[in-house]
Amino acid sequence: MVRSIACRVFVDVLAAALACFTPAVAMAAPLESEIRPLLVERCGACHGPDTQESHLRLDVKHRALEGGDFGPVIIPGKAAESELIRRITSTDEKKRMPPDGARLSALEVERITRWIDAGAEWPETLADRLARESDHDARLDHWAWQPVVRPAVPPDRRAPSARPAEPPGMPWPAHNEIDRFLQATLADTHLAPAPEADRRTLIRRLSFDLLGLPPTPAEVAAFVGDESPDAHERLVDRLLASPHYGERWARHWLDIAHYADTHGFERDQIRPHAWRYRDWVIRALNTDLRYDDFLRRQLAGDVLAPDDPDHVVATGFLAAGPWDFVGQVETRSDVLRRQSRADELDDIVTQVMTSACGVTINCARCHDHKLDPVPQREYYALTAVFAAVSRQDRATSAAAVATYERAQADLDARIAAARVEVHSLAGKPIDLADIVGGGDGRGNGKKGFGIDPRTGQARDATPSGFLADIEVNRVAPGPTPLVNAVFIPNGPGDVPVSTTGLVVKGLSATSGAAWDAIRNGPVNQQDSTQLGGVEYARDSHTILGLHANAGITFDLVAIAELAQLVNPRFRAIVGYGGRTATAGADFFVFVDGLPAAHRRIGRDDGGIPLDVPLPPTARCLTLVATDAGNGIGMDQIFFGDARIEGDPTALPPDRQALLAEATARLETLEQERRSLEAPALVYGPVAGTPPVVKVHLRGNPETTGDEVGPGTISAVRGLPTACGDGASSDGDRRLALADWITSPRNPLTPRVIVNRLWHHHFGTGLVDTPSDFGLGGGKPSHPQLLDWLAAEIVDRGWSLKAMHRLICTSHAYRQRSFDVPGTAAASAIDADNRLLWRQNARRLDAESVRDATLSISGCLDRAMHGPGYRDFDYEEAYAPVYRYVTADTPALWRRSIYRFIVRSTPPTFMTALDCPNPANLTPTRLETTTAVQSLALLNNDFMLRQSGQWAQRIEREAGADPATQIRRAYSLALAREPDDTELAAAVALVQSAGLPQLCRMLFNTNEFVTVD
Amino acid sequence: MPNDAFPCRLHRAAASRRNFLWELGGGLGGIALTALLADEARAAAGAANPLAARPSMFPPRARAVINIFCPGGLSHLDTFDHKPELAKRDGTPFDTTGNVQFFASKPGHCQRSYWAFRQHGECGRWVSDLLPRLAGQVDEMAFIHSMQSKTALHGPAMFMANSGFILPGFPSMGAWVTYGLGSESEDLPAFVVLPDHRGLPPGGPVNWGAGFLPALHQGTVIETTDDRPPIADLFASPEHTALVAGERAGREFLALANARHLRPRSDNSQLAARIAAYELAARLQLSAPEVTNLAGESASVEQLYQLEHPEVGPFGRQCLLARRLVERGVRFVQIYCGAENTTARKVRPNWDSHEDLVRDHGYWGPILDGGAAALLTDLKTHGLLDSTLVMCQTEFGRQPAAQGKGRDHNAGAFTVWMAGGGIKGGTSYGSSDELGFKAEDNPTNGYDLHATALHLLGIDHTKLSVYHDGIQRRLTDVHGHVIQSLLS
Repeated sequence: MVRSIACRVFVDVLAAALACFTPAVAMAAPLESEIRPLLVERCGACHGPDTQESHLRLDVKHRALEGGDFGPVIIPGKAAESELIRRITSTDEKKRMPPDGARLSALEVERITRWIDAGAEWPETLADRLARESDHDARLDHWAWQPVVRPAVPPDRRAPSARPAEPPGMPWPAHNEIDRFLQATLADTHLAPAPEADRRTLIRRLSFDLLGLPPTPAEVAAFVGDESPDAHERLVDRLLASPHYGERWARHWLDIAHYADTHGFERDQIRPHAWRYRDWVIRALNTDLRYDDFLRRQLAGDVLAPDDPDHVVATGFLAAGPWDFVGQVETRSDVLRRQSRADELDDIVTQVMTSACGVTINCARCHDHKLDPVPQREYYALTAVFAAVSRQDRATSAAAVATYERAQADLDARIAAARVEVHSLAGKPIDLADIVGGGDGRGNGKKGFGIDPRTGQARDATPSGFLADIEVNRVAPGPTPLVNAVFIPNGPGDVPVSTTGLVVKGLSATSGAAWDAIRNGPVNQQDSTQLGGVEYARDSHTILGLHANAGITFDLVAIAELAQLVNPRFRAIVGYGGRTATAGADFFVFVDGLPAAHRRIGRDDGGIPLDVPLPPTARCLTLVATDAGNGIGMDQIFFGDARIEGDPTALPPDRQALLAEATARLETLEQERRSLEAPALVYGPVAGTPPVVKVHLRGNPETTGDEVGPGTISAVRGLPTACGDGASSDGDRRLALADWITSPRNPLTPRVIVNRLWHHHFGTGLVDTPSDFGLGGGKPSHPQLLDWLAAEIVDRGWSLKAMHRLICTSHAYRQRSFDVPGTAAASAIDADNRLLWRQNARRLDAESVRDATLSISGCLDRAMHGPGYRDFDYEEAYAPVYRYVTADTPALWRRSIYRFIVRSTPPTFMTALDCPNPANLTPTRLETTTAVQSLALLNNDFMLRQSGQWAQRIEREAGADPATQIRRAYSLALAREPDDTELAAAVALVQSAGLPQLCRMLFNTNEFVTVD
Repeated sequence: MPNDAFPCRLHRAAASRRNFLWELGGGLGGIALTALLADEARAAAGAANPLAARPSMFPPRARAVINIFCPGGLSHLDTFDHKPELAKRDGTPFDTTGNVQFFASKPGHCQRSYWAFRQHGECGRWVSDLLPRLAGQVDEMAFIHSMQSKTALHGPAMFMANSGFILPGFPSMGAWVTYGLGSESEDLPAFVVLPDHRGLPPGGPVNWGAGFLPALHQGTVIETTDDRPPIADLFASPEHTALVAGERAGREFLALANARHLRPRSDNSQLAARIAAYELAARLQLSAPEVTNLAGESASVEQLYQLEHPEVGPFGRQCLLARRLVERGVRFVQIYCGAENTTARKVRPNWDSHEDLVRDHGYWGPILDGGAAALLTDLKTHGLLDSTLVMCQTEFGRQPAAQGKGRDHNAGAFTVWMAGGGIKGGTSYGSSDELGFKAEDNPTNGYDLHATALHLLGIDHTKLSVYHDGIQRRLTDVHGHVIQSLLS
């Protein structure tokens, strides 16, 4: 690298300079006689001209006094505070410097100490000055940071003349500027472009490239027979207009967004609304949304247009990566939570900067970037841009939410009015949750307050977790006369439920544990407060939260004294507030110790209505929740609107009629309320107020350094690097970054995207590290072409389809990949074909293999959009379990882009075919060739069943004649006819082993999985 | 239940005969294919095998690794890390400030080991009574008592222990090792994973992923617990009768089709390699059932690994299988002693003993003890211990303070051990503080463990690197020192 060469030159200069020093100079400053030689000899190997561990260099003035990654090491006048002294005197083996060889002698240490204490005087020598001047950061000269300058298009090239004296041959085929750039390099390297591939090869190539699907035999025939001069261009246009184009290219984008439908990590939970983002990408590509807008919406669509789902859903990009539920939510440790949060921000920042700009920003998390000119503080400036962002299911439109909430409020007001009317006719019910909150059942209890089931004491709203010092089956009197008793039940024996000695039977054995108090409201950690579409935590509804294992007995006599209700009944909706879907807990209702209701329930059971008549003699109403014997985790039983109401049938007939009418009106309104459709959600970012962001020294969130404001990297010059300041709102920060990324003056963004398109059309990008344009990444094979394309995409209104068209209609794209004259000679010059003297043959990726299989077998369901298909059985658990099933039903025969992607448990079939794990950001798919992969195609149940499906299709379409069947099979899978030898071999196979065997083996051929 | 292991036919002769026949059918088809390979493809098979064994950077002490992973957090305090001071303070307050917050709880009182410690072997190392069989092997084992993790969260800590990074997506140790050394077995995967029969560990297959290395370096799971073939898709399911019956003819056709396709594309080595991969697959169809078929093992081996034992047996079988794999040249075998976390069952399915340590470690202890001790003995008997590095890892330890009847996560201190290939038995490195709360003497992260293991394989951990997105990536990140004192 430039710098190291500069450094090497400098060593010689330094040596020469050192040799010139006279003793007199040394006398004046001990530096040259005593200190510098020590620093050079003992520290120079790691902190000298060639190597600078921790970016620390000690042999020249400006660098020695400046320090390294961890700040200054020499503090003039303060030897004791200088890290240099600390390190050379450390007793810790791992910290002591130098790490190898003898330690510095006491005398040497003393000399350095004295020199620093005396002010670390360091007269600048010639060597120091030269070092300072040559220390210009050559990394800033790196090509990727330089502005895009539209280069002149090279002239047409002709084939070189056959003999020196003869004029050049025919012009090389050049369909557009791309060819002129490429052919200029080819000519310089004594290479030539390959001839154009035949029509069937071209349509197969274009179909897989643009749609990820094979062409149908009819499409092949039409294209082969199309004699018009623009047949190729029209085919490209037709394919770009196909909705399957968006499905194919969304896959590429989702690879670099590492999108999945679950969180990942230990508790890999489902993100039921993530798919809307995946669909947004498909639609955006199909409608050819300008690429700058494509990025802007993904970074800040919720800020740009909070009412437009088409903008808000786009921000699902920022929430696409993995997220650790245990570290973010479950743990009680703030240290662990900060770590997880820092990891989450790292993931967001890395994804944004690598995908849009090809900047490997994450390398600057612990220290300055080792290769690129990106200091650590710029990494934290970028985390500051997203510091207020967290991920969750969120509404896709603020306006829709407002409309919904208005409708809700309106209905709630009308429901409340109707209820007052009903109450005035039937008597006002007594609310049991209100009693639990210390009230008298008529609304004066405190929300959130409750009763400790161990002691019967009133509890404030402070949540509690596992209750300690539990004694099961001990009755404790309630805090008010309306509550007779509370208790923690444990069957199967008699369980006492009241202070009067009443017992109940029939409860099962429990874990004996209990959680939180019995509450007027949800219990601690309750996941849901909704049942049957009604949100019981809001409006006039109430919740009596009764986490297993707990029981409460109300004193019906005391309640009857308060409210004169005729023929009272206990009514409520009971349900499960935990996250698990499976039946996990029991609830019981007893009246005077006699069972009145019981059921084992889980989240899927919804709300269960209770209507229990209370005889005039009844004294005790008991509600119990137990854990079904499988532990109390998630067992958040709750009773919605638990009330004791009067019985209208005891009223006089005229009032009954009025009541019936009022009740009907109430029910209609409630029905209307339930059927209000909640606004659509997407798993995306929500933002609060940005916190203060500080540098994490060595990447450790517990050791923070300087505060940093929001900003971006400075390596790209001519653009503001600040994204607001510490006071800026979240929206302003993200918008500022989006502006920076999509600025026409940012050279990275257009270069990166055109290179990605190139990568997918040729198998290798002009830069072969598409997400890394830094100094360690690949160098462009054709820098001028890259810049021309970058200029072109901006001038063409950031249209991706225009760029596809340009690339796909070039001669370079249309070249043959094999049967190229002069292959041996060309391979000797450019074995990797970086100069594109032919097209590259490419292997189908996992999704294309699966989609092509379904398409060929005739099974493919081309329905677009919507929630993903789930080709697994799901088992709800602490860490959910995903078990894959064979995709043998039409519901699972959709395109692979709609696969529900489980982060923790990828399907082995797709993994064997190199489908990447969404833990990784994947700009280029690695291609492997393994025995496991062969076995997957050969034996996977899906492939075998598809072979059978395909054989049936062929029989339907081609009848019983083997030769006709085989011709059909070849044209479906390979877009061609078999030759005679192939036909004979295939006929023999079909006759001996059946048509499905032929289908199975065609799916396994190199020809099927390869695009020429 | 666990004993239904498909390949381990010791107890299932009747049920598995049918399987064996169709396996054989597939295998023979494979042999037939071999004969049909085009010459150029056969040549490519040798040259193109990206897992061909490669020389190490310097002479290795070990040529294979068996990594036993105890997910959930094995308690060092109740197994290998003897803490008399903790016993002395048993029942006294641990945290008098009230400020300490563990992963899931506030510290309870100091809790001594639930099992008594004794000295064992000539080296006199302390091991608790939970692990009597391993205690008999301490002279072979080297302990690191000062292990620390960057996090006390299972998922990230698992990734850290396996890949050196707390984020998912980095290559696991097994992937790095096969990337560096290839494999000595052409017929078996280079990196084999044997998960617990209860299921996958926390974090799932990412734990043996190849990250940004080519996918062929990821661990291949060998199933041993039901009637399925040992490797996914090793054979066509027998229900596809016609496809199974005609497979041989089908493969002949495939060979022909591929050979004709290759002819005008002979310079495309990818195509030849893919043809060769089908030959490798045919060999795998023979070798995978062979290695997982324990019928040839003696009764004493069966006894040694307690294969009949309902709880120890399944893990014992994995350990035996590991020996057989290493014997056949497999480079890296990882065995999981425990599965994913859940609180829904009677005993935790891994070592994560929050609420009842005696119950859960009391269950898992004899399993690890039985299998791992048998493995060390058996490797020695077969003359393999000298060339096989056995490592026993966990993602973090447990707290010296009580959490009810259990212990909470402790990333501050835990113990791992190694044995065999180049390890000096009966030694230890580092120590935790007097209570076992934090590493005190020579605190170390997994980097040093990985660096040491790679060193024994003849690899300089600083040189086994791949450029990826802006940086030369290594298993040891930018850290790691070989722990010389543990080497023989």
